[in-house]
Amino acid sequence: MSSTDKLKDFSEKLKENLGDLAKKVEIHKGFILVEVELDKFKEAAKKLKDMGFDHVKSLTVVDRIKDGVFEVGYHVSSYLNKELAKYVVELVTNVPRDKPQVPSLVDVWPSAEFQEREAYEGFGITFEGHPDLRPLLLAPPVAELKPMRKEFVVKEEGIYRELPKKEETQASSKRSG
Amino acid sequence: MQAGEVPKINMSSWEVGESRYLPGMEIKRLGKERFVVYIGPQHPGSGHMRIIIKVDGDVIVEADPDLGYVHRTMEKLSEGRAFIKIIPLVERMAILDACNVTLPYVEAVEKLLGLEPPERAKYLRVALCEINRIASHLYGFGIFGVFLGHSTMYMWGFGDREVLVELAEKLTGARLTHTYPIFGGVRRDAPQNFTDNLRKAIRYLRKRLDEYRKIFLDNPVIRRRLEGVGIVPKKVAVDLGLVGPNLRASGVEYDVRAIEPYEAYDELDFEIPVFEEGDSLARAWVRVEEIKQSLRILEQIADKLDKTKGQQIMHDRFWAKAPPLYKKVFEAEGRVKLMPLFAILRVPKGRSFARTEAARGEITYYVESDGKDKPYRVRIVSPSFRNAIMFKYVIPGHRIADLPAIYGSFDYFPPEADR
Amino acid sequence: MAYLSVWTLTERVISIVFWGIVKLIFWPPIYQFVIIPGLAAAMVVVISIIWFERKAAARVQMRYGPWEVSPRLAGYLQLFADLIRYSFQEIIIPRTVDLMPFLTSPLFALLLSILPLAVIPVSPVKWTWPLTPSAMRYSVLIAAALTTLSPIFIVAMGWASNNRFATIGSMRETFLITAYELSAVIGLFSVVATVHSFDFTKVVAFQGGGKWLGLINPLALLATFIATLISTSAFPFEISDAENEIVAGPFTEYSGLMYGINMGSAYIKRWAMSILIALAFLGGWRPYIPPPNAGYVTGYLIPSLIVTAKAVIVMALMSFLRAVYGRYRIDQALHVSWKYVFALAIAGFGLAILEGYIL
Repeated sequence: MSSTDKLKDFSEKLKENLGDLAKKVEIHKGFILVEVELDKFKEAAKKLKDMGFDHVKSLTVVDRIKDGVFEVGYHVSSYLNKELAKYVVELVTNVPRDKPQVPSLVDVWPSAEFQEREAYEGFGITFEGHPDLRPLLLAPPVAELKPMRKEFVVKEEGIYRELPKKEETQASSKRSG
Repeated sequence: MQAGEVPKINMSSWEVGESRYLPGMEIKRLGKERFVVYIGPQHPGSGHMRIIIKVDGDVIVEADPDLGYVHRTMEKLSEGRAFIKIIPLVERMAILDACNVTLPYVEAVEKLLGLEPPERAKYLRVALCEINRIASHLYGFGIFGVFLGHSTMYMWGFGDREVLVELAEKLTGARLTHTYPIFGGVRRDAPQNFTDNLRKAIRYLRKRLDEYRKIFLDNPVIRRRLEGVGIVPKKVAVDLGLVGPNLRASGVEYDVRAIEPYEAYDELDFEIPVFEEGDSLARAWVRVEEIKQSLRILEQIADKLDKTKGQQIMHDRFWAKAPPLYKKVFEAEGRVKLMPLFAILRVPKGRSFARTEAARGEITYYVESDGKDKPYRVRIVSPSFRNAIMFKYVIPGHRIADLPAIYGSFDYFPPEADR
Repeated sequence: MAYLSVWTLTERVISIVFWGIVKLIFWPPIYQFVIIPGLAAAMVVVISIIWFERKAAARVQMRYGPWEVSPRLAGYLQLFADLIRYSFQEIIIPRTVDLMPFLTSPLFALLLSILPLAVIPVSPVKWTWPLTPSAMRYSVLIAAALTTLSPIFIVAMGWASNNRFATIGSMRETFLITAYELSAVIGLFSVVATVHSFDFTKVVAFQGGGKWLGLINPLALLATFIATLISTSAFPFEISDAENEIVAGPFTEYSGLMYGINMGSAYIKRWAMSILIALAFLGGWRPYIPPPNAGYVTGYLIPSLIVTAKAVIVMALMSFLRAVYGRYRIDQALHVSWKYVFALAIAGFGLAILEGYIL
C-alpha cells in the first residue's frame, strides 16, 4: 500500500524535523501522534508551525485516570500547504492530574483560543498565557464540577437507569399486572 | 438593569485583542462610556446564543460570543453509550445536515474495526451527504435573507429545501434525523424510482438557482449591505482556523472532499469554488457555487446508483452473520434491519481520527476505544464551533446593522457549535 | 286630529335628529378628522393595504398569505381578527420605564400622524373647509408643519422605555428625521413655488385640465415619495425598528394594544402623507368639479372619495416594495437621503421655481 508508505515516510520526516523534541512518533488511524515532554511543548509547537502546520483542528484532552495524567493533544494540519494538508498530526503531552497546567498555544495557533477555553471548563486544565481563560459553553457553577473528567459520572434517566432492586420490580410488576 | 451599570466581563481580552484587529478595522477609542448591548439569547436575530457587544455610537468596538445555550454534552454522553447508539445522538447537533455530521464518526469507528463499506453503500452515503449539503445551504440562505429583511429569500429558501427533505425522506424514511450511515454500510437501499426523482429535483433546482441570483444576490440593496462587509483576509482566515465555505471565500482552497477523499469522492468529478474577496457577498456566492457542484455530483451519483442496482449495501462481516429473515426483508423491501450484532459490538482497542466536509465546513471526530462496547473518549469539533471565533475578531469595527449581515453570511448554527 | 298632530310631531323630531346627525357628520372638523379621510377611512384603508401587502408578498413567495380566517374573502378578515387580538392582549409595563411619556407618546404619535388631515380641504366648496378661508391660505404650510411633529414622540418612546434596543432605535430614528424631513418639506413646498400660494385649494385648482403637478414636476414628486418611504419605515428603509438588529427599535417594550397603535401609526402617517401627495401632485379632487350650490353628497362626499382613491393608489405602491427589497443599513440610508433624495428635492424646487416663472 502506497498510502501507508507515504505515512511512514512522513513520520520519519517529522522525526527528523523535531529532532530530540519528540519523545515518540506513532502512526494511528487517521493521524500521526507526536508525543513531547511538557517543558518542550511550546517549542515543539513552534517547530510544527514553522513546518507549515497553520491551524488547530481539534484540541483533544483524554483523561487517563489509571495513569494519573491528562493527555492534552492538538490535532493540527495545514490549509496553505497542500502536501501537509493530507496529514493530521497530533501534538501530545501528558500533564499530571493533580497539577494540570499547560502552556497555552494561542500565540502559536490563534485558532486554539476557544478550544482551550472548552478544555479549561471541562477538565479544569489551566492554560498558562491564555489571554481570556474563562468557561465557554458551561455556566460557571457547572464548570466548577469539571464534568468531562472520568470521575464525574453522568446520571441518566430512562432506559439507561440502573435496574431497581428485586422487590421493587416484583411490586411494580404486580401493580401493572 | 440600571443605565450606568456595566456587567462584569473579563477585560483582559480587550487589551490583548486590540492589536489583532483586521487591517482597516482599527478602532479609535474615545474616552467616553461605551454602551453594552446583549444580543440574545432571546433575540430575533441571534439564534440560540448571545453576543455581548460594546458599542460606541453605532459602531461595535468589542464583541464577546457567549455560546452554550444549547449545549447537550454529547462528548460526555457518548462515553456512556454503546457505539451504535452514538450515531442518533450526535446527529442531533445539525438535524438538517445529519448525514454529514455523523459520517466521520461512522468512518472513525470503521477505521478501528478495519472495514470498508461496499461500493453501493458509498454511493448512497454520498448521495445523502450532497442532498443534506444543498438543504443546509438553502436553510442558511433563508436565515440570511430574513436577517437582511428580505422575506422572499427566506420563503424561497425554506420552500425549495422541502424538495430535498422529501428526497431524503424517500431515501431514508425520515425527513430530518436519518441515522442513515451505520458501521459497514447504510441502513436502507434506495427505493425504485429514487434516481428519477433525483434527476427531476436537480433540474428544478438548477432553474431556481438562477432566480435566487436575480432576486437576492444581484439585488442592489442586498449587494450594498454585503459588499465589503465582514472582510476576512486569507491570512486571518487561516490563523483563526475558519472552515468550509467561509474559508474558501477568503481564497484558501481547502475541501476535505478533495484533500483527503472519503467514501466515493475520489471517483467523482467536481470543482472547489474559491473566491478571493473574503466579504459577506463572497461567502454567499461560494454557497451558490457549491450548490451547483453538489448538483453535478448528484447527477453522477444517480448514474452510479443505476449501475450498481441490487448490489449489497452492508459489509460482509455483518451481512454474512445476518439471519435469513434479514436477507428476505432486504430482497423484498430494500432495507437492512438493524443487526443484533451492533448492540453488543466491541470495537478493538485504538485511536482514530476522521474528518469530512459537512455543509458548514470540516467536522472532525477523534474516537478512542479501549476494547469495550463503549468508547473511551469521543471528541467532536464541529464546523460552527470553529467558526464561532470569528464573532470575536471579525465583528468589531462594524456597525450594529452589519451584525446580522456577517452572522448570516457565516451560516453559524448554534446547536451545531454547542454540541 | 290629535293622532295626526302626534305623527307630525314625531316626524318633526325624527327629521331634526336625522338632519342633526347628518350635519354633525358633515361638520368639517368631524368629517375630515374622524370619517373621510380621517380615522375611519384610515383604519379601513390601512387594514386593506396591510392585507394587500401580505397577499402580494405571499404571491411572490409561493404561499397563500392570510387565508384561514375567511377563505371566501381571501383572508381579509384576518386583519380584523388581529386587531381584536391586539386589543385584548395584556399590556405589560416594565417597572423601569418612565411611565407618563411611555404611556402618552404612542397616543400623541398616532394623533399627530393623523392631524394633518384636519387642516386640508377635500373639496373646493367653501363651507366644507375645516379652517376659515383666511387660515386656509396657509393650509400647505400648516399641514407640512403638522407632519413633522410625530417623530418626536417616537424618539420619546425609545427614551422612556429605558431599553438599550429602544435607545438605539430612537437614535436611528433621530438620524433619519434629520435626513428625510427636509427633503419631504422641500418636495412638498415646491408646489408652492409653482402655484405662488400656500393654499391647497388654489394648488388643486391650478392642476385642472390634466396639468398635474406630479407630471410637470416629477422630481419633487419622487423626492417626496422616497422621503415618505423613509419616514414611515417602509421596506428598503425599515431601519429604526429593524427586527433582526434591534428587536423592534423604539417599540421594543410595548405590548398588546400599545404595540398595535405603534404599528398602526406608521401606516397612518403613510396614509396622511399619501393624501397630501394626492392633493399636491396628483390633482386632488380634479377632474371632478362640484355643481354650484352643491349638497353634502355632491359637494363633500364625492370629492373626498376621489382624493381617497388617489391616495390609496399611492399607498399601495409604497407597500408593494416589501417583497422585493431587503433593508438598508443606517449609514447607507443616510447616504441615500442626503446625497440623492435631498439633491432631488432641491432640483425639484428649482424646477418648480422655473415653472412658476413660466406658467
